[in-house]
This record gives sequence, structure tokens and C-alpha cells, in this order.
Amino acid sequence: MRRRTGPQARPAGGQTLWAGIEELSDDPRFQAYIEAEYPAVQQFSRTARREFLKLMGASFALAGLTGCEKSSFVGALPYVDQPASETIGLPRYYATAVLLDGYAQPVIATTHAGRPTKLDGNPAHPTTQGRSDVFLQSAVLQLYDPDRAAAPSRHGDPVSWADVEVAVGTLREGWRADQGEGVRLLLGPSTSPTLQRQIDAFLKQFPKARVHLHAPAGLDKRRQIMAAVYGQAMEQHLVLGECDVIVSLDDDFLGPGPDQLRNALGWSQSRRRSSDRPGNQLFMAESVPSATGALAGQRLIADARRMPALAEALANALGVAGASRPEVTDAEGRWIARAAAACKGRPGRSLIASGLSGGGAAALWVAKINQQLGNVGQTLKLTAPISGPAGAGTLAELVSDINAGRVHSLVVFDCNPAYSAPGELDVRDAIKRVRSSVHLGLQRDETGALCEWQLPLAHALESWSDAYAVDGTATILQPVIAPFDNVKTQHQILAMLLGDINPAADVAVRETWQASFGDAFEAHWKQALHDGFVEGAAPFITASPVSSTIAPPNTAGDLDIVFRPDPTVWDGQFANVGWLQELPKPLTTVTWSNVIAVSPTLAKRIMAVNGDHVEVTVGERRVSGPLWIMPGQADNTVALYLGYGRTRAGRVGNSLGYDAYHVQPGTEPWLTQGSLRKLGTTEDLPVTQLHHRMEGFDLAREVKPGQVEPSSPEQASLYPAWTSSRNAWGMVIDLDSCIGCNACVAACTAENNVPVVGPEQVKAGREMHWLRIARYYTGDIAAPRSFFQPVPCMHCEDAPCEMGCPVHATTHSPEGVNQMVYNRCIGTRTCSSYCPYKVRRFNFFDYRLPADSSEHAAHNPDVTVRSRGVMEKCTYCTQRIEAAHVAADKENRPLRDGEVITACQQACPTRAIVFGDINDPGSEVSRLKRDGRHYVLLEELGTRPRTTYLARWRDEEKGSGQG
Amino acid sequence: MVRIVDPTARHRVTARMVQIFSSVADTWLRLFLIGGLALAGGGTVAAVGFAHSAYMTDTDIRPHQPVPFSHRHHAGELGIDCRYCHNDVETGPQAGLPPTETCMTCHSEIWINAAMLEPVRRSLADNTPIQWTRVAKLPDYVFFRHDIHIAKGVGCETCHGRIDRMALTYRAKAFTMEFCIDCHRDPAPHLRPQDHITDMAWEPPADARKEGEAIAAHEGIRQGELTYCYVCHR
Repeated sequence: MRRRTGPQARPAGGQTLWAGIEELSDDPRFQAYIEAEYPAVQQFSRTARREFLKLMGASFALAGLTGCEKSSFVGALPYVDQPASETIGLPRYYATAVLLDGYAQPVIATTHAGRPTKLDGNPAHPTTQGRSDVFLQSAVLQLYDPDRAAAPSRHGDPVSWADVEVAVGTLREGWRADQGEGVRLLLGPSTSPTLQRQIDAFLKQFPKARVHLHAPAGLDKRRQIMAAVYGQAMEQHLVLGECDVIVSLDDDFLGPGPDQLRNALGWSQSRRRSSDRPGNQLFMAESVPSATGALAGQRLIADARRMPALAEALANALGVAGASRPEVTDAEGRWIARAAAACKGRPGRSLIASGLSGGGAAALWVAKINQQLGNVGQTLKLTAPISGPAGAGTLAELVSDINAGRVHSLVVFDCNPAYSAPGELDVRDAIKRVRSSVHLGLQRDETGALCEWQLPLAHALESWSDAYAVDGTATILQPVIAPFDNVKTQHQILAMLLGDINPAADVAVRETWQASFGDAFEAHWKQALHDGFVEGAAPFITASPVSSTIAPPNTAGDLDIVFRPDPTVWDGQFANVGWLQELPKPLTTVTWSNVIAVSPTLAKRIMAVNGDHVEVTVGERRVSGPLWIMPGQADNTVALYLGYGRTRAGRVGNSLGYDAYHVQPGTEPWLTQGSLRKLGTTEDLPVTQLHHRMEGFDLAREVKPGQVEPSSPEQASLYPAWTSSRNAWGMVIDLDSCIGCNACVAACTAENNVPVVGPEQVKAGREMHWLRIARYYTGDIAAPRSFFQPVPCMHCEDAPCEMGCPVHATTHSPEGVNQMVYNRCIGTRTCSSYCPYKVRRFNFFDYRLPADSSEHAAHNPDVTVRSRGVMEKCTYCTQRIEAAHVAADKENRPLRDGEVITACQQACPTRAIVFGDINDPGSEVSRLKRDGRHYVLLEELGTRPRTTYLARWRDEEKGSGQG
Repeated sequence: MVRIVDPTARHRVTARMVQIFSSVADTWLRLFLIGGLALAGGGTVAAVGFAHSAYMTDTDIRPHQPVPFSHRHHAGELGIDCRYCHNDVETGPQAGLPPTETCMTCHSEIWINAAMLEPVRRSLADNTPIQWTRVAKLPDYVFFRHDIHIAKGVGCETCHGRIDRMALTYRAKAFTMEFCIDCHRDPAPHLRPQDHITDMAWEPPADARKEGEAIAAHEGIRQGELTYCYVCHR
């Protein structure tokens, strides 16, 4: 990048922004790569002039032939009996939920002609308030996954459900003979009261059977920690909206997971409490950079093994009884002193949190500190466990029982232990040893292939079920589409195991709720389905941490190895969802693969660069994968990301990345010690951090409390001003609230039929996302500050693309929207090279799905599916604008503020994106445009963009005394 | 006497100038230019004409339908309102083809054994849709909505022609972009009062423009905002 500095240059924090570590070196190859419009062009051979002219001539001669298509007569199929509530061509909306780690993520499903096309959060839900995360947004594509199991199978051969019923009958007879001795159910995390009720009934029928839990993303560990800390099973809830100070010890509470929506919403609420300064202070001590760390004003880099000591030191500084002062480094000591000072004098207004790698030792100190500071019941609330199954054994216990020959029948419910169990447990061998094994899952995955029977499950969107959200509010899941294939729900299959052959899908769920709904059942039931939740969260309880201490685990060994669920494919269950694979992972911006993240120091020590294959050895087990140098990672911590290296995920998810589960220990799965060595090979990672780079300065800004961004003077323009119609659309993105979670990108993909291009095309810089989350660093590579900046089309008033297009395929609407007309576009890509924000995407290939593919049904019918050779970009969700116009025009009234909500805005968990009419001075977007933190990206170019930003707050270095 | 010596004479003998072009070459060139222009002009006219021809716009085709449904009989002679069968027209983007049940409201009482109606009865019995052939179809990249046009005073007949005179349904107007945008540019002369929306025989008054302007003002038509691309394409 040619970096210009001028009198206007005022980079964030007085330092230069950089997007990748390559930039910090002066490598000429990197300069050439950056200067190319498309990085792949760098690898092309120079085409001979004649060859070029020949091809161009042929293209010209044949151009337009495709336009000579005579309109054809097509069929039209009316209903036989049209449902009264159906209007042909209009979407219908259903309230239900999809699941993440068993917790309900309440959704409103948009269905077109009976096909779900889009999921959004349920705005009426008390906890998530309509917010989305990437998993919620992408669940609809998982529904249409053509690699899902379509029929039951035995040893891989398709069978009928009648065969399954006979086999289950035989099994049941055997089980009854010895009261279920040797029968085990293995469940993934679940909060379903119906499933719990059915399991209780099962255990009543077969009293000697046992239930085990397999939670690859760490839910079981969290539960063990809570039980150790409080002496009883417990779930904790962070009330971030009430906090002035938050101190986190390696707990990425804003990162992906079932709690992300609630935490992000709460955090942003308290963050925005005041307009002239940040509403809360965030202290983060972490080993591996995370979303939470990126937003923390006070970030401490510490190896994972340091967390118990840091917790105790903080406890000591805050005067918790029994806490001695462990040895800490100077930096740690300063951070603790500042954090302690910030927490003091704010009873019930601070919150300390700790993550999995700190284990029980750190968690106990943290619980005691929260107790001491009066946070319990204020910013930290406790409830009885919401996630079940209650009283379940562990996977390790199951494996040892199998190996001891105590298990003859195993039923695996919706989890994939053959892939996602810690390698040390050797679950695969154990499953093979079981005489009768049954697997229930969406796919015939690694576990399904090992089991005798594989029974295909219905997707959450095809099922009757129920589940609790993270706060304990129940949602009754209703099907939004009849199953495509011959599948059943967990409840139907459990009913079969209970001896009830072929019950209707909703019977078990109705039975569960009969008890609580009582007499007016139908009315309550209908109301619950309509609302998408049943009023009433889990009641809070009070408890005190145990008085003893928990010894930190033994940490002998050179390097800390920590495991993290992948931010986009989670524990591997979403590996076959293309939308999620193609999302750039927050901070690394890697797509389609996981990496072994190390600190710059460690990389230097083993002389490795990004993409070099390295081998991690834990005990006797080793795994190798591509290295990623993570700026700001603790020197001696290596991070392995779970969810990749799958062998039976399907056509999208197979053979990507490495399998980190292989080296995960059975007893302490989240922090272990091991070694790292460089292998000779290397690979080219599909990374997006250097794609679509803007040339300029001061891209992501921050302001100190009390400071304001200079208001921009109206710039003179040679072009005449546009006359605006009544509405003028604009957008403001608050960088202080953006947690880089990608929910907006996933929502945009789903709303606007954005294609998935695959890893090779991503490497070539051809990813199609209309909205990118640019990630920048400032400062030293060892301890940089990180910035997230969502960049959609800016919809410039004086748009360079409009001036550049030779065929007028991109034009300006009177409402200020920069329009892209696909039919006019001839693919010169001039607009893209003229665009200073690099937000235009070109269809290098025909990414349209074949007509017979099931994913077709996931398309939004209100948006054109683009063909090859045309440019596309963010339209401000024009289909939503036009739909709102029609609704308002039919009533002959002006549009109201908030009537048009873009997909990204609707999804954003922190409400960082606000869209609306800038002609209306009372609209929220107009109000934000008058905010002191408001600034215009690349303002010096005079493009006068409609999309603008609010600068991030720069927390004061001296922690105490600031609000 | 002076003898004028031509210094090139010697050369003239050895390299005599040859006439390259014949005397009619100029005419040929003129003919060629005129012919070329005529061909280009004629070709353009022909291409535009072809694109507007009934062949390309399919305005002359009465596609085969499973039941030879006559709008002339139902809408014209019997005077059934359009919205009796196309009942989504005021609420949704599509007017909607009537479900079999709608046909059967009458045909379970009259003409119950007509051979012509066998596909309708079979559809009801088998619970399978009647497979009509669509007559009025816009390209996939046009996002047309019926409801807003009806609400703003565009009558059925304006786009669909005299349906009440069609024994077998055909496309009366060529659905070209020109057809749409003419009205989007200047809707006033094409508007009619709400109580005549489905009236096939309605004729614009002598001062159609003035009446139309009044309707446009009353309906709050956003004149001048209806021609930008995203109104119909997205």
C-alpha cells in the first residue's frame, strides 16, 4: 500500500493502522500483491496481445446473444384449496427457535411459499430481543443441506422405519429382561423439558440404564466448575447491562456461543449509557486474542496457566479472605492494581468473569471476589441448571464402562463423539466394541458410520420440540416446513424406545406442556406458538462459593496448549454449511480452515511464518496444521481451534483444516501442555485480511472522552447536487459497539442470495460478501490494539463508480441509493477499480446453483440471483425499502422511522448498525449523524458517502476515576 | 520555334500510368455507401420491429390450457368481478390463480358433469393442482406487484386488455420495459377512479390528464420517483 501522510493524517491513537503482519515488513512482493486490484492477477502469466484481442473479439461477437431469448410460456400451479391466511407471493412468519449447544436461539422464520428462506431473532423475546448470531442466521442453509441423512440405515444400507421399529422392539425385550443393565444413552447438550421428561420415563422403565453427556464445546466443563465452586449444580448469568467495570480472565464472553447474544446486548447497553464517555470499562487478561480482548480498554497478555494466579492476586488486592499475594510480573501487577481500583467503591456495579482455561481454581477466586464486591444478585445472577440432562455421567465414564464390558447397547442422541470427543478417550474404538449401537443425527456422520443403526433426525426447523433460552425462558419449537425426507424428531424416536410406535410429532411436546398450561391448554399453546416463547425466566437463587480453595492444575511443560471452539463452525456441527465456512473468522480472517495460532515471538523462535505447517505434540498424540501468527497472543500459549478435520461432514466440510480433538486430553480438555515443531511444508491459506484494501488513512478512528470528531465542512463539488425525494437513506455504524462477530455478514448473505465461492476463489480475492468486517491493528505486533470496521457500500452522493461505468449500469436513485442494474452490466469492472471503499464484488463464475439443488429453496425470491460476469454490491436491502414503500403507499402515508430495517441492522447483536431516513431530523440515524463521534470514511475524497461511522471510545490509560 | 521538351516524356513511354478505377467506380462506391447505410438502418428497424413483434412478445398466442377457460363467458357475459377469482390482487404482489375450490363453488352446482370440466373435478378429487399455462408473465428480474398498482388507480384492463372479450386468454399488451416505463414516467393519463378498477369497459374521459392528475394527487403517487431502477429491479 502506498501510504500517504499529510497534514490531515491522524491515525487511530496516533499510530498507523495495519491489517496483516506482512505489512510491517518491507517485502516488495507484498507491495506488488497489494497494488493489484485482485491479488490473483499477480499470479497470471502475461497474456499475449493477439490472444487478448482474439478473445475480446469473440466476446464482442457473441455478446448479447444470450439476450435473444424469447419469452416462454411456463406452467402455473394454483392451490387446490388455498389456506385462508396465505397470500400468494407474500412471505409468512413463524416464531420458533434453532438450537446452539441445546439452548434455544429464538427466531422468526420467514417462509416463502412454505419454504423457510431467512431466520431472524425474535424481537419480542425478553433475552435476545431480536438479535442474531452467525449460527442462527445460517441454520436455514443447514436445513437444506443435501448431505443430510434422508432415511434410516443399518450398517450403511438404507432400511425403512418399519425395520427400525422391529429392531427397537427386539432391543427393548432384551433390555427389559435385566432392567436396562448395560444400556446407555449418550446425549449432546439439551435443554428440552420434553426430552428430559422422556429420559426420566426411560429410566423408570429401565432403572439400570444410564445417561451420559457429551458437550464438545465445553458446557460439561463449565458445569463441573460451577459445581466445584458453589458445591451444587448451578448456572451463572452475567448482567453486563448493569456493569460499570468488567474484568475478564480469559473469558471471551462477547465471543461465539449460546451466551453471545445476551452478553453482547448487555455489554453494548451499558457501553452506550452516556453520550460523552464510554459507559463501562473492560479489563481483559487473555492468552489468545478474542473479540472481548479486542474491545477491552485495558488488555493484559498472559499465558493461560497464569489465570488462577491472576485471579488470586486480584482477590488479594480486593481484600478477599484467604487470598495470598502470588508472584506476578510488573505488567500483571499494574493491570491488577488498575482493575482492583476500578472495582472498588462500586458495590454491585462491577463483574469479574473467568473462562475455561482458568479452571476451577480461577473460577473460585472469581466467585469470591464477586461475593466480596456485592455483585452476586446484581451483575451476576445464579439459577439452577437450565441445560440438561440432569444427573448425566461423563463421556469418560461411558468409555471406561464400555472398555470394562459393562455396556451392550448405546444410543447416541444428536452428538458426534466419534469425531468431537477428546482423542485421548479413544471413543471410536469404544463404540465399535458395543454390541448394539444406534446413532440419531442430522447426518450419517463419523459416529453414524460406526454405529449399527443410523436414524436421521429432523432439523430444528422441521421439528416439534421445546428448549430453554440461556435465561431459562422456554420456547416451543414448531416446524416451519414439513420434512423433505424420511426423518423423525428425537422425541419420536425416544417414544419408540419407550414402546410407543409412531406417535405424531407433537404428541410428546403437548404432553409436557399440558402440565403447566393446565385447563386452557389450547389457548396457552397457541399463544406460546404465536409469541415464540413462554413468559417466565428461570428464578434466581442465592448461593455462596465454598470456603476452601481449589488447587490450580499442574502446569509442567513448555507451552500452554488451549482449545477453542471455532468461531464459525463451532464444535464441527456446522462444518457442512458453506455460508459459515466462508465467513472470515474474527481476528484471523481465515476462511475454510482452522489454524494453529501462536504469538509472534514463538513463531520467530521456531522460524515459521503464516501457513507453515507445524506439529503440536500433547503427550503421545500429535496433530499438524497451518500456523497463524496472532499479534497480541501470549508468548507461550498455542491455540488450537476445534471443528475442522472432519471426514464425514459432507461435500462442503470434509478434509478442511486439522482435527484438534485428536490431541485434546480427556481429563483437562481446555488447557494442557505440549510442544510445537515446524514441519517442512507450507500452505496458502484462504485469508481475507489483505483483500479489498482502501487506500487512505484514518480509516478506523477513536476519540477520548470529552473529545469530539471535528465536524466536516460541506465540501465543494464540481458535480451538481442531486435533488432528493422525500426519503434519503443513510446508515451509521458505531465502531465502539462492533464486536466483529460476523452476524451482519451472515445475515446479508442469507438476505441477498450472496454466493459461496470456495477456498480457491477466496485465495484469489474473489469472495462475494457485500459487507466485510475489516480488521485493523495499531501498535506493536506483540501487543497491538485491534479494530473491527464493518464496510458495506457507502452509497456515495458523488459516487466514483457511477461516473466510471461505461454503460450506466450503476446509477443514483432520488433516495440516494447507489443502484446496481445487473442486466445492463457488461462486466468491465471499472466501477470496482474506481471504488475507493472496495465494496463491489464481481461474479467471475456462474455461482448460480443447479436447478435441482435443494439449497435453491433457501434463496430470497425478492432478490435476483446474479449470473456470471456482472458486478454486485450492497443495495441497502432495497427489496425491504420497496416493500416498506408499497406498504406505506397503499395506506397513503409517509414512511415511519424504523419501518425499513436492513438485514445487517436487524442481525447486529449490539445494535451497532442504524439505518434510516436522513431527511427526517428526528430519525435515529439523523440523531447519530449529529453525534460527537461521527466521522466519514475517506472524507478527503469528497465522495460524500451515506454510510458513516461513529468513532470508537478510547478508554483512558489511567483506569481509576474514569467512568 | 521553340521546342518544348517534356522531361518526363521518356518515362511516360516506359511506365505508362494505368487507370486503377474504372469510370463507374465512383458510382459503385456511392451505391455501396447508400446500400450499407440502408442495410444498417433497415436492419435496426427490422431488429426493433422484430423485438416488438407479436412473435417476440407473444401477444398473439393462446397457449393450450387444460380447461378451455373463457374469460369472455365468465367476466364478460356473466359479469363476475375479476377479484372473485383473483382475490390476492389487492393484498399481494400476485393476483393469484384461483384454487380449484373457487371453480368448484359454482361448478359443484352447475355444469357438474361437463366433460370440459373433468380436469377441475379430478384436481379436487386427487388434491393435485390444475396445471395451467401462464399467459401474463414478466421476466424474473422484474419485481412487479399487483397490489400497489390497484391501490393507485391502475385498472386491470390497462395492462391486460379486454379480458372480457377473450374466449381463450392471450397477452393483449406486449410487456416490454417501454410499456411499463411510459406509465411510470407519466402515470396521470392512465389512472382511473377506484370504483372502475376492474371495469373492462371504462373509457378515459376527454380530459384524462386532468382527471388523472387529480387521482394521482389524491392517491399520493410519488411522481418522478417511479422511474429509478430499484423500483422494479433489485
